[in-house]
Amino acid sequence: MTRNWKINRRTFLRGLAGAVLPLPFLNLMEAKTSNIIGGTSDPDSAPLRFLTLFKPNGVHPPSWNINGGKEFDFRMSPLMAPFSKHKDDLLILDNMGDFGFSSHANSTRRFLAGHHENKDSASVDQLIADKISKGTAHRSLELTTEGLFTGQFGCSYISYDKEGGAIPRESDPQLIFDRLFRNPMSDPNQRAAMTSVLDRVNDDAKTLARKAGREDRQTLDEYLTVVRETERRIENLDQANGNSQLDFSNFQRPGPSSNLNEQVETMIDIIALALWTDSTRCITYMLGNSNSRIIFDFLGIKEQHHYLSHFFRNFSRTNLESLLKISLWHMEKFDYLLTKLKSYRDQNGSLLDNSIVLFGSGMGHSDNHTAQRIPIILAGNGGGRIKTGRYIRYSKNQELSSLHLSLLKTFGIETDSYSASSSALPGLDGGHFNEHRERPFNSWVKHQAGVITAQGRLRMSDNLDEARVFYLDIEGLQSVRIEIEFRDFHDFNLAYHVGTPITLTGNGSTVGSQLLIAKITDLKSLFGNSKPGSKNG
Amino acid sequence: MRIFPIRSKSSKLAATVLATALGTNSYGAQFNTDIQPILQNYCVNCHGGDKVKGEVDFTLIKNEADVLSHFELWETVADRLAFEEMPPEEEEQRPSVEEAQLIINWYDDRFVKSVEARPGEFRVRRLSAPEYRNTLRSLFGFDLEVAIIAAEQTKIEKSLVLKLLPTDPPGQSGFINDTNAARLSSNTWEQYAYIADRALDELFSIKRLTQLEALIGKEPPLDFSPTDLSQVQAKSILRTFSTLAHRRPVPRKTTNKILRALKGLKGQDLVDATKMEMKVLLVSPQFLYRGHLMDSKTDKQQSVDEYELAERLSYFLWEDMPDDELYKVARTGRLNYTDEMATQVDRMLASPKARSLAESFGGQWLGLADIDQAATDVTAREALRSQPVDFLNYLFTENRPVIELIDSDTAFTNYITASFYPKDRAQLTKYIKYSGIVRELVPNQRIILEHTESRGGILTIPGILAMNRGPILRGTWMLRRIMGERLGEPPADVPAIQARMPDEALSFRQRFEQHRSDSTCARCHDRIDPFGFAMQAYDDSGAYKLDSNYKPPRRKLEHEDSPELIDTSGRFPSGESFKDFDDLKEILLGPKRQDIIRNAVEQVMAYALCRKLEEFDRPTIDAITEKIDESNGSWRDVFLEVALSLPFQETYFSQSPRNKS
Repeated sequence: MTRNWKINRRTFLRGLAGAVLPLPFLNLMEAKTSNIIGGTSDPDSAPLRFLTLFKPNGVHPPSWNINGGKEFDFRMSPLMAPFSKHKDDLLILDNMGDFGFSSHANSTRRFLAGHHENKDSASVDQLIADKISKGTAHRSLELTTEGLFTGQFGCSYISYDKEGGAIPRESDPQLIFDRLFRNPMSDPNQRAAMTSVLDRVNDDAKTLARKAGREDRQTLDEYLTVVRETERRIENLDQANGNSQLDFSNFQRPGPSSNLNEQVETMIDIIALALWTDSTRCITYMLGNSNSRIIFDFLGIKEQHHYLSHFFRNFSRTNLESLLKISLWHMEKFDYLLTKLKSYRDQNGSLLDNSIVLFGSGMGHSDNHTAQRIPIILAGNGGGRIKTGRYIRYSKNQELSSLHLSLLKTFGIETDSYSASSSALPGLDGGHFNEHRERPFNSWVKHQAGVITAQGRLRMSDNLDEARVFYLDIEGLQSVRIEIEFRDFHDFNLAYHVGTPITLTGNGSTVGSQLLIAKITDLKSLFGNSKPGSKNG
Repeated sequence: MRIFPIRSKSSKLAATVLATALGTNSYGAQFNTDIQPILQNYCVNCHGGDKVKGEVDFTLIKNEADVLSHFELWETVADRLAFEEMPPEEEEQRPSVEEAQLIINWYDDRFVKSVEARPGEFRVRRLSAPEYRNTLRSLFGFDLEVAIIAAEQTKIEKSLVLKLLPTDPPGQSGFINDTNAARLSSNTWEQYAYIADRALDELFSIKRLTQLEALIGKEPPLDFSPTDLSQVQAKSILRTFSTLAHRRPVPRKTTNKILRALKGLKGQDLVDATKMEMKVLLVSPQFLYRGHLMDSKTDKQQSVDEYELAERLSYFLWEDMPDDELYKVARTGRLNYTDEMATQVDRMLASPKARSLAESFGGQWLGLADIDQAATDVTAREALRSQPVDFLNYLFTENRPVIELIDSDTAFTNYITASFYPKDRAQLTKYIKYSGIVRELVPNQRIILEHTESRGGILTIPGILAMNRGPILRGTWMLRRIMGERLGEPPADVPAIQARMPDEALSFRQRFEQHRSDSTCARCHDRIDPFGFAMQAYDDSGAYKLDSNYKPPRRKLEHEDSPELIDTSGRFPSGESFKDFDDLKEILLGPKRQDIIRNAVEQVMAYALCRKLEEFDRPTIDAITEKIDESNGSWRDVFLEVALSLPFQETYFSQSPRNKS
């Protein structure tokens, strides 16, 4: 039997800001760990975990979507830059979602419950928790960043219980930390201290009882009953957990956060610690309500996120830049989570290796609320159950519930259907799937007397600091750079055509070896609508 | 001439007048021999055994003790008989005038004339969640807050205490400070222990040096560190803290016992021992409950001691423990002097802490939490909810007459609610919403209603109108909360009101009249409807339909009439009629004024005493009501009168165990 999952102590100390206490590492999972999948109990294999990170307000598709990519040959999009270093641990899914337009509330419910009308079964995370969290101190954790929108209840929850009721979320990292590691009842040392407090108040109450009137006596009796009850519970817990050696008091409690970034990173630190200590195996975490109105003042942004996410109707260059900054921040938190999970050694690998992380949003296009091409990424290979390092773009739009059904099966839950789906999403484990095929087209470029005409696939600049810059990719040649005024951008609805092949005519020049279009005179879509903006929508 | 139409609460007068007029006398009437047979003959058919209408069951009342415990019922009985509302007209078996009078007079003797004021039995009482939060804040000098950063217009409970403690249910008094029925559980106790840990950890952190210094006091040496105290400093902290936590001076013996724990310790050990002693105090019964430590608990009626009185006063006006000043006065033993009490009440009402009166007392009395259902958007909801709270706070703390509850020219509004005051909104400072902000919370501003005739007083505050949709809910609310009448629940088998036909010109009121023509319904609806239909000019959002620029809501509910169908007239069973709300207001300010004042006094008293009012409180209520009515007294006067009243100042103990009957 080999055990090589010693914690990397430096990593751990770096993890919890300011933590200075030594960690006497013990094989805390020795007794508990058993592989619950498939009913085998191999003490050497790590428990499997399920984690969800929810990104609010969809995405700005031009900067998110991968276009023209193949399963093993794809270029990560500009928004994916923050976590591109984890490419090998990711399974990026595309063409997810099969709704045209979708409200925030509906898309939020679908994210984990498959369909917005699925109001009488639990969300997929809860079903998984039922399966994998037996024997852990906490069945699951439902976390969030933002408070409740009481008027838009549905936008505030992704986890639902088996009656379809929203499960309350918690957003205070200190409270979660305390619930996990400072609960007087969960820690032997704390329990000992609690017992001596109980002894003392017991004495006090008895002294008072000696001179009490009848009403007082009754109340004191009630109080003493509670004291006795608590004492009994402590005794029971001491007996039950007599051989648990992990001393949580060595974990340093996080301080209050001074901004949202700290709050979220602290929460992610706690998430990793919760998984590593096997306090729970299933966590959902919302980076905000699905129509999040957080103001990212620490990024120098004064507008609410939801307002900015309607990047088209509230278009301005600075608004778009602000939106992209916020989106990048979300992606950085995803990166932070993955990095964190990798930094903990678990049996046979890192925590991430033994987890499946679902990252994504409820809708794709954040301005017109289309629930197609929803950003969905699976990370971690779940102990070999998921084949990562790939990009899957399905030939048809997929229901989210088919992904959920696949996840249920992956976690060993026997079921034929979930929510709207009775067929699982193929290909997650490396098996066959129908891949999206691009229609072939020729790309070329002509430059004559200051007029450039080019045909190719339009994309945004990889550098999101220059959100106003686009490129037209020409096979075998350097891409044509497009740097235009707002009027052109608006009149030709350039953002709409990103990712698709177009024929573009404009005035331009050559700067060095780079062809540059500075003014558009004509735009034709090869396979789609050239002037989509002229229709009401 | 019609007898001065004073309703139930003043039936002392009504009954006496009637008794004199009819020349009957009931002195010596006994329940079993005289009253019960009458009830048996005319009442139990509908109010007893299998059939229990209006939740009244006379068969449950068998002996004198039952009679006493149902004292509120007799008030209603006498009232219904005096105004010939019961038994219903169509009943063939009706009591004779003499029989009815016998009951009225019996009630009058038994529950009005012969009742002597006495204090309630002494009860220890656990602090309610808000009281506990505020007390901790006063003890430590800071609030325990949830450590999250989140968007402003979302719903977050910022107070860690309120987040962790279970919500207190209202007690029999209707107020949550009546915690006698809310049992302590092991879970709640654990939360107390956890909160104590959190508070102590924060107190002994760099962040809270000032607060820790305040506990150390003037004892030398002046430099200290929260991780390395001197013995003198640690002792000083425990002395100060235990006095504060006991809310009275601590006997030397107790102090010595606490201080013994520090003996021989230093450095972190000393700090830990100090924290431990503080924690024990914070979860002890003497801290979590009020009243365990009161002096001289002998088996008789007596004045409460000076610290108990100080505590009663501060939890009444502040929902918090007394401050230094109040303790100072308590020590002199002069707090029960009228002039000193008046000084303290005025001082305390001037403090921002007195806002708890509007928030807790006012909020629970008027059921303001229901406003949450009136608007879905957090900012709109907060705006609606803050209006009545600000208004009550103004009445309570600025010495406004009690009756201004009904009629006032002062209102509180912000940019969200400004549209309800179209002609006076110019008084508001212009609100500028910055680009990129969808909604934000803005405090209310005080305005004077110069041109807005449709507003003024609590009844026309938008949130109040919006939380009670339709005339029936509005009428019920006014009758119960403002007039203080007890109403039974509607029977469960009432059919729905017939839906509006597409081309029907009947107003909701006309359709409702058809519906309620059944006399069993009429019994209560005769009393409810006049109030409710008088408000028909206000739509479900609280907007005034007769405003020139009124825009009807997109979704119109059944009870909403278009402006031309609105009929706001009404007539009370007691005879007064009115044509619209303005008229009704005159009636409220005139003939019904005393009822409103009486209800206000009762509510304040129940809140101040943290218990349900009993039949022996009647003389106190009568006296205060009369005084306030005659002098057009203010809310401050009511608070002071209650603080000086016998049930507030006195108590009695019983050592003998309660005999369960």
